[in-house]
Amino acid sequence: MAIINYANKEVQFKIVYYGPALCGKTTNLAYVHSQVSEVNKGELVSLATAADRTLFFDFLPLNAVVIKGFKTKFQLYTVPGQVIYNATRQLVLRSVDGVVFVADSQWDKMEENIESFKNLQENLARQGTSIDHVPYVLQYNKRDMPNPAPVHYLEYILNNRRVRVPSFVAVATTGQGVFATLNTISRLLLQKFAWENEQAVAKHQRPATPPASTSLSGIAASATRR
Amino acid sequence: MHSMPILTIQSANHLLDALEDYLDKSEASFAMVIDRGGSVLSQHGSLPSNADTATIAALAAGSFAATKELALRIGETEFSALHQQGEQSQIFMAGVDDDTIIVTVFGPQTTLGLVRFYSARTIKRIAAVLQENRSHQHVVPLFTERDVRAASTIFGH
Repeated sequence: MAIINYANKEVQFKIVYYGPALCGKTTNLAYVHSQVSEVNKGELVSLATAADRTLFFDFLPLNAVVIKGFKTKFQLYTVPGQVIYNATRQLVLRSVDGVVFVADSQWDKMEENIESFKNLQENLARQGTSIDHVPYVLQYNKRDMPNPAPVHYLEYILNNRRVRVPSFVAVATTGQGVFATLNTISRLLLQKFAWENEQAVAKHQRPATPPASTSLSGIAASATRR
Repeated sequence: MHSMPILTIQSANHLLDALEDYLDKSEASFAMVIDRGGSVLSQHGSLPSNADTATIAALAAGSFAATKELALRIGETEFSALHQQGEQSQIFMAGVDDDTIIVTVFGPQTTLGLVRFYSARTIKRIAAVLQENRSHQHVVPLFTERDVRAASTIFGH
């Protein structure tokens, strides 16, 4: 969940990039890291195997926009996509504020995309939440591969819930769609956070409602207004 | 699970006081309190090689979470503390409560025994501060949805 530090005037959010193996999660972070200025980023840490497959997670801390004096910070994580690493995916999802689900647009990856999305829902449920309560966006990556599935098909299989979420086409290796995805999920998180804060403040400031009157005078007054 | 979304100024100062006292007595070089999701709540001291504390927090939280899973699989609830020893520096991590961890980095000027001894007292102090922080949550307006919409870019891209 978002951490608010009044002393440092900071708000921190955690975004997790989720998706099947080799869909481009790490590539997304690598591209973001290459483009953000030094002063606004930390080190990109990748806990990977010798074959460059994510073993535990990738991590990239970013400083973002200052709003009303509060510095907003985003911690980007990726999960390992391989099926055997489900236990570590659960660990990385802890305290997640938002998710970017990266799908592989290739036709033969559809089943993996669906399984991975289902896995995300299961792992969120283990943490006592659900995909309905965690802001997320979809990224259809690898649009440059030969014969990718049409976007409307990916929308049909992945963006078919009661509320459709923002989705983006991407070629993460070139950066296409990477920042559009990240900017949108970040805005969603900031807006959700701002809304919840406004609601909490309004509730806190609302005067206590006096108990409903059951006197006859109250009933007579309402009869007159009719 | 406790929640810890808001750290008041008073709590932040109490945490800093606790860490300052801890480093002073234990002679460790750096300590920080992090949440189990990997975010830094408070920190004090200096790290060798000016490492990025956000990265260390993320790695420490991941490491602690991974070893907790290992512990569960051998019939333990959790390993309450972890220690890693290098040639010059050592790192000691211990759970404060369900949501937070204290991470200590120390060098040859002190000993693991001294760090463990003073960490036990510091953990109790920090746990009390965090409990107090949770029980007196303040609701203060930060920024509105309109403020968010007015921001032209989030990351400058």
